[in-house]
Amino acid sequence: MEIIKTTSLTKHFGTTPASDNLSIHVKEGEIYGFLGLNGAGKTTLIRMLLGMIKPDQGDIHLFGKKLTPQFDQWNDIGYLVETPYAYPNLSVIENLKIYYKLRQLNNPALIDAIIHKLKLTPYKDKKAKVLSLGNQQRLGLAKALMHQPKLLILDEPINGLDPEGIVEVRELLRDLANQGSTIFLSSHILGEISKVANRIGIIHEGKLVKELTTNELTDQLIKKILVATNNNAKAVQELTASGYKAVLTEEDEIAITNKEALSNPEEISKLLVERNLPPKQVYQFTEDLEMYFLRTIRHKA
Amino acid sequence: MKQQLHAIQAEFLKNRYANILWATFIAFGLAPIMGGVFILIIQDPEALAKTGGLAAKTQAMNFEANWKSYIGLLTQAVGVGGVMVFGFVASWIFGREYSEGTAKDLLSLPTSRTKILNAKFMVYVLWCFVLSVSNLLLGLLIGLFLQLPAPEAGILSPLLSDYFITTLLTVLIGVPIAFFAIWGKGYLAPLGFVALTLVFSQIIAATGYGSYFPWSIPGLYSGSGGEYKMLLDSWSYTILILTSLAGYLATIFYWKNADQTK
Repeated sequence: MEIIKTTSLTKHFGTTPASDNLSIHVKEGEIYGFLGLNGAGKTTLIRMLLGMIKPDQGDIHLFGKKLTPQFDQWNDIGYLVETPYAYPNLSVIENLKIYYKLRQLNNPALIDAIIHKLKLTPYKDKKAKVLSLGNQQRLGLAKALMHQPKLLILDEPINGLDPEGIVEVRELLRDLANQGSTIFLSSHILGEISKVANRIGIIHEGKLVKELTTNELTDQLIKKILVATNNNAKAVQELTASGYKAVLTEEDEIAITNKEALSNPEEISKLLVERNLPPKQVYQFTEDLEMYFLRTIRHKA
Repeated sequence: MKQQLHAIQAEFLKNRYANILWATFIAFGLAPIMGGVFILIIQDPEALAKTGGLAAKTQAMNFEANWKSYIGLLTQAVGVGGVMVFGFVASWIFGREYSEGTAKDLLSLPTSRTKILNAKFMVYVLWCFVLSVSNLLLGLLIGLFLQLPAPEAGILSPLLSDYFITTLLTVLIGVPIAFFAIWGKGYLAPLGFVALTLVFSQIIAATGYGSYFPWSIPGLYSGSGGEYKMLLDSWSYTILILTSLAGYLATIFYWKNADQTK
């Protein structure tokens, strides 16, 4: 079942396109990572999914139902949009009580359970205004998760968290997905998204420029063997003559991109030694995710 | 109904520790205290002679040391000062969600946006009436302490009636402030609007057309404009009620339909 389905979603603010013909599909139990630079249109899409912004064109379906003002499944959705804020003069528990009331919940144990789950117990009676940035983020997540939603829509959920908090949230999201929840999360950090998402959509200037699974992402990252010898020009000739795709880079290194070279780099070392060009360096380079992301959006631009 | 009740409970919880709550009671409570000072001055001829400015003000207002004058002063404080203080209350209740960044958390919930706004309007009305009653009680305590002469038979009822009708009119005319808070996404727009209405209500009342300017009507009804109160007619109250209704509907319509980007 498709939990989120958008069809040709378009939204302009003045003449600026915030969403341009966006069609995305998120299946049940999936963690969908939505990636884009700041201002790419991630938050606009999230606000449209939550009924906060009306699209100029296109439709949104959540749980198979068209999103209209009469949509009545808001308790199946938990969300966190941009920086989470709380009522500063109220404690953590009082802040959660407000949303407990507004979500019309009937199980007070939910409040204690989510406080415990997000490790906010030591702070539950502290006013929100004295919480650290990380704990404010946890409180925002607690508001989103308290009612055990089937769909979580999270905008930059790891902002402000320390490394331990990032790992905890990552594990929490995986647990929720394993229990059947569907998660749609946005970030501008591809490295983080790729660690939790099953599928990734890349948005740039309001357009979906790429959509791929994490396995496909791994395949699409540029990989090459970088070699250096005392005579790189001669080494390139020898490698080319032996059937390798070898070129000299601007950094005066030999880049080899054959699949065989990547799977058996020791063969390159052996060949070069035999040709009296012993390698000073044989290094397998894999493009990092940020480079891939920038390459993707620049290519599309 | 249950949803509305929960929304009201949530709204009460939000305001429980709000510093502004006490600030409004202190600001509004200045009126009965000031009235008490006037009474003291009148009751003490020596003090009257020493406090030149205040004594002149007391005499200019034809203020007398009795319940009629005192409750009349409190009524005027509601009709004129209430436009400002109730305006602050409305600005706070509706503008805080944007200033505190919590507005977005209220938009996609099982409790509808209309019910959340209705809860805010109810808290606004209640807050203003409690302010009004507290001033009356404070005035009663001060009046008893200063041993004001017992009121003549039948005088209290019309005085209290005027007091609460003025409160009602002032509360009603504060409703459109909610729209400016939601539209302006914070405190600045509604507070600016309150300041403008205060200035214009004085200017327009002084030109003699205050009976048709909604924000002048509570002040005129309270008696602060003296004989101008006689100019109020059914059109005046109709204009005030329509302005209030338009403010309510505009607030609901805007919050339900406008793009929420903050």
